[in-house]
Amino acid sequence: MLHVDIKKRLTSGKSEAFTLHVNFTAADETTVLFGPSGSGKTTTLRLIAGVLTPDEGSIKVGERIFFDSERNLNLSVQRRRVGYVFQDYALFPHLTAEQNVAYGVRPGENGNNGQRKINKRERARELLSLLRVEHTAKRHPAQLSGGESQRVALARTLASEPTVMLLDEPLSAVDVKTREQLLMEIRDVQRSTNIPFLYVTHNPAEAIKIGAHVVLLDQGCVVRRGRPEAVLSVSGDRNEASDH
Amino acid sequence: MNDAAFWEPLKLSLIVVGSATVIVSVVGIGLAFVLAKRQFQGRELLDAVVTLPLVLPPTVTGYYLIVLLGRRGLVGGYLYDATGWTVSFTWQAAVLAASVMALPLMVKSARAAIESIDDRYEIASYTLGKSEWETFFRITLPLARRGIYAGVVLSFARALGEFGATLMIAGNIPGRTQTMPLAIYEAVAAGEERRAQALALVLTGVSIVAVYLTNKLSNARSPVF
Repeated sequence: MLHVDIKKRLTSGKSEAFTLHVNFTAADETTVLFGPSGSGKTTTLRLIAGVLTPDEGSIKVGERIFFDSERNLNLSVQRRRVGYVFQDYALFPHLTAEQNVAYGVRPGENGNNGQRKINKRERARELLSLLRVEHTAKRHPAQLSGGESQRVALARTLASEPTVMLLDEPLSAVDVKTREQLLMEIRDVQRSTNIPFLYVTHNPAEAIKIGAHVVLLDQGCVVRRGRPEAVLSVSGDRNEASDH
Repeated sequence: MNDAAFWEPLKLSLIVVGSATVIVSVVGIGLAFVLAKRQFQGRELLDAVVTLPLVLPPTVTGYYLIVLLGRRGLVGGYLYDATGWTVSFTWQAAVLAASVMALPLMVKSARAAIESIDDRYEIASYTLGKSEWETFFRITLPLARRGIYAGVVLSFARALGEFGATLMIAGNIPGRTQTMPLAIYEAVAAGEERRAQALALVLTGVSIVAVYLTNKLSNARSPVF
């Protein structure tokens, strides 16, 4: 369960300053953050990840507090254990697919005497085959297709054993044919990990397919939330048109 | 050529330039990282101070080094009183002069390279639980390495040609502080044309290789690293 209730004043170069004020709860299912570009979706993800710090409010995953302005708590990005999946994958270009995934493998917790050391390479292989991209192991990101890249990126994220998953338009750089399949795989991964997935998109069809729940953002505020069909049918036309 | 007047400056230049390049690489990459990634008061001032030797006449830079680190300098004075040692007129002074003169080239080149890296790589690394240090060494540095190599080559070349600031603080003592550029000057002044010619040719050769390497490093575009 992910609880978010945060405020952040944003001052970007060109557009006038506006205040992001987002509050919602995401269960251990896929929640879609939906809204036109500039509505604060990516900023919200960055605030949850800990790359940006809210001015006030709180962020919690289960009983773990990521941020609480009243109690002066602010967990570092490293300790939050969020999985972040980027639109253009952000695979490390100088590492092979296998090395990318191995980079994310969390070393065994300290203090557990006798625990066998996790073999990072072995674990990377496992995850690559779980996402059916084992054949890419020795290749570099530049030699991968969009679908392969995003699968490797998912594998890398899973390697770090996240407690919450943030996906920032993960399909927008993937060709249409691959999208459908990847969407189902993301759904499968959510079911098997059973952690909250926060999925950013501005594509209504994608939102309906993947989302158990939709949070509709506009100009930094939550304007509606609920079941995807309910939330998106009312405002469907307007939101579809507001991008591109 | 079996002539101490040729080999000694060459040997000294290699030691001085080698030391300076190592110092400039470490300090320069550190400074470039701080300038590229950290927001703090006086950041632009720090950048200006580091860049200054690039635009100042080298003798002026050398003069400031004397004012700062000479035997009666602001900092050097204390050092001399405490230890009886001063950097002036030692080979270390030549290293210092070469380092200060080459540093801006390293910082400019490395900073541009670090700033051009998409911050998503670093965010990805942090979310995977990696510290800033580990991210720097395993992600940022490898991705910025072309610009850093170019900076190293440029710094090497600049340090090799250092004359003015070196003369000011290290002097021109054969066998102790007389590097190749100073030896060339002296050879010409003394009318020893063959020695001047030989030294000049060596320096020219090294410079051509440096330019070639720099171009190759900054133009190379390969998708696979």
